Amino acid sequence: MAFGIKLYVWGDRACFTRPEMKVERVSYDVITPSAARGILDAIHWKPAIRWHVNRIHVLKPIRFESIRRNEVGGKLSAASVAKAMSAGSTAGLPNYVDEDRQQRAATILRDVAYVIEAHFELTAKAGPDDSVGKHLDIFNRRARKGQCFQMPCLGVREFPGHFKLLEEGEALPSSHGSLKGSRDLGWMLHDIDFEYGATPRFFRATMNDGVIDVPAWSSEEVKA
Amino acid sequence: MILQALHGYYQRLLERGEPGLSPFGYSPEKISYAILLAPDGRLVDVSSIRDHSGKKPVPRLLNVPQPEKRTVGIKPNFLWDKTSYVLGVSATSKRADKEHEAFKALHLQILAGTDDPALKALLAFLSIWNPERFKAPPFNEEMRDANLVFRLDGEAMYLHERPAAQLARARLLAGAGNEGSATGECLVTGEHLPLARLHPPIKGVNGAQSSGASIVSFNLESFGSYGKSQGENAPISEQAAFAYTTVLNHLLRRGEHNRQRIQVGDATVVFWAEAADADEAATAESLLGDMLNAPPDDSQEAGRVREALEKASKGRPLRDIDPKLHDETRMYVLGLAPNASRISIRFWQTGTLGDLAQRLAQHEADMRIEPVPWKTAPAARRLVLATVPNREGAMPKMDDAFNNLAGELMRAILSGGLYPQSLLANTLMRIRSDGNLSGMRAALCKGILARQRRLGINTNDEEVPVSLDKQSLNPAYRLGRLFAVLENVQRSALGNQVNATIRDRYYGAASATPASVFPMLLRNTQNHLGKLRKDKVGWAVTLERDIREIVEGLGERFPRSLRIEDQGRFAIGYYHQSQARFNKGDDANDSTPETDVADQGALA
Repeated sequence: MAFGIKLYVWGDRACFTRPEMKVERVSYDVITPSAARGILDAIHWKPAIRWHVNRIHVLKPIRFESIRRNEVGGKLSAASVAKAMSAGSTAGLPNYVDEDRQQRAATILRDVAYVIEAHFELTAKAGPDDSVGKHLDIFNRRARKGQCFQMPCLGVREFPGHFKLLEEGEALPSSHGSLKGSRDLGWMLHDIDFEYGATPRFFRATMNDGVIDVPAWSSEEVKA
Repeated sequence: MILQALHGYYQRLLERGEPGLSPFGYSPEKISYAILLAPDGRLVDVSSIRDHSGKKPVPRLLNVPQPEKRTVGIKPNFLWDKTSYVLGVSATSKRADKEHEAFKALHLQILAGTDDPALKALLAFLSIWNPERFKAPPFNEEMRDANLVFRLDGEAMYLHERPAAQLARARLLAGAGNEGSATGECLVTGEHLPLARLHPPIKGVNGAQSSGASIVSFNLESFGSYGKSQGENAPISEQAAFAYTTVLNHLLRRGEHNRQRIQVGDATVVFWAEAADADEAATAESLLGDMLNAPPDDSQEAGRVREALEKASKGRPLRDIDPKLHDETRMYVLGLAPNASRISIRFWQTGTLGDLAQRLAQHEADMRIEPVPWKTAPAARRLVLATVPNREGAMPKMDDAFNNLAGELMRAILSGGLYPQSLLANTLMRIRSDGNLSGMRAALCKGILARQRRLGINTNDEEVPVSLDKQSLNPAYRLGRLFAVLENVQRSALGNQVNATIRDRYYGAASATPASVFPMLLRNTQNHLGKLRKDKVGWAVTLERDIREIVEGLGERFPRSLRIEDQGRFAIGYYHQSQARFNKGDDANDSTPETDVADQGALA
């Protein structure tokens, strides 16, 4: 893939929440393709392009830690906001954090580093001005300078992700020895299909010597 | 992976025919009585099926169709229930008549057109039953609100066990599935199946609600995503949800015969093995159980643990101990803790039995301190107990432990990673506030520092000594030793009846800010030595020589403050030096090994 990119991302903490344990959060062992796409989106995205993650290299040993945090239990309902807007008054609308506490535990990853291999395709929204080369150049320039539209994060906003572009031909950082061999990571979230009622789609993730091959979005292996 | 592993374990246990494990759609419930029916629906008798072997009769566990999740609604169970539903009588329920109506309606609807004589008998019974009849024998007041099942007179099988009943039950489940629940990709099995909206409750996690709590639940609106409700947030099939909760409830069952469940702090830990046959699995599980929660005495199990850890640390296969033990047996360890009607995963570790044994051996080696304050390897549970307040005259309480600490400590032991950062600070704080430097606490300090060094953190420090190291030039370690000798001098001069020894009064300050305390302590020691010289010249000379020898190895001046790691070394030095006087034999004839040993006894 001539227009593929490689991005080195790392951070102190990460939480790629499993959907079945998202209340008392437990992270997947490694970054999910949708989280990787989110990092790329944070650096450069336009409606004209769509990122596809091809491969994920896991560089550091998989280490967990648990923490507890105070969060809220409820959310503002769209209906009551609409009502407040039409009534021109915010009475009864506020949600007081200290009256709606929920303590939640999370089992998160410590000290992670990945290399994301990805490419993008032009979407139906691409106009005559859009070309693959143009967007690739924009991405490379921005990533090289460390520019981003919002701080990329490792799963959740609280855990920022740092990034560095790996230039073409540049050697990959080596994987930790403990990741050697083949490991079944179970059914993992590939991405959410937003066009069909936000349906989650899963794939069977396996890691071989620290490398996870991500099947294409449209392939057979990705199930909704 | 956790749910997948549990699902796999369930399948293995089911194939193996594990007693007490229910097939899909059934669950073990406490049943007290069986109603005997004549084929025409007449009531023949009510027999107690409780277990009478104990002092008090206790209900028997029977595999019955899974109960409905009841909160406020009236939802009858299929072919069994409590008396308010089955018979319409209750001591507590004020709407027993409505509940009985619902029970009747459900069975009339599902069992309509059945050919099975027993089920027909039940229908006949329901149509002629009148709650008034409960007042006469064979009924008695004790039966109120107990759970009942049915049996046709002259047959051994209960009604809910009959093939026709199971068929009807399957129809009922399929019908319920078609109504509300969506289908989708199951996260556990990867197959397209009807999805569970609510998962069965998990019972037996200490501190959680007795009615059960959930691992997968979305009980508040902020927990959902993408506008999805309940189980749609986490697509898991009905069947997989049943499998993982059933096997987890099985692992969590209380009872002395369950060796797969231990409690560490607030975390309830279960573990299981993936082995070729039941025997091998049981052997592996019992060894891991003993290693995780070693008995603190000289029992046979303790000996086996010692042997296993020795073998593991030398890289020898475990097969040498027992031919049923295989190094390659895959082990799963899961730590659960309750949190507001939910269950959170504290830690999750998989690995081969050999790996886990090796890590436990490593843990033992890191913690090893001499003189050894325990008989068997320091199990996590006892280490956690060393971090809680030791009040006078009271046993340390597990409830006092910091919530997350136990889980993090277990994770470190099982994964071979760093011990939790807060452990050292917490231990030192406890030493200072209790004034009790037990062997277990010294070992904790030593273990944390030794492991940091082994894993390449703080490598500029010298190695942490296992036993008294007179050559060590580490100032913190030397100061710890010096403090122990000064305490010994005071004790020798004034006897054991001192109200507050220098340890009681100055330990905290001496270990944190030596420069502010030691000059004063050394001055006072001269007074003690002066007194001692009058009574026991030889002993005074020995102690003075000890002090000189230690001080000579110290730098120009006392350090102003010690880092937290150095405070750990201080504690280790103190422990080594204060224990050394017990080993000297003749020299120590003046100081009797009193309080220290008693303290350790409580903890070791």
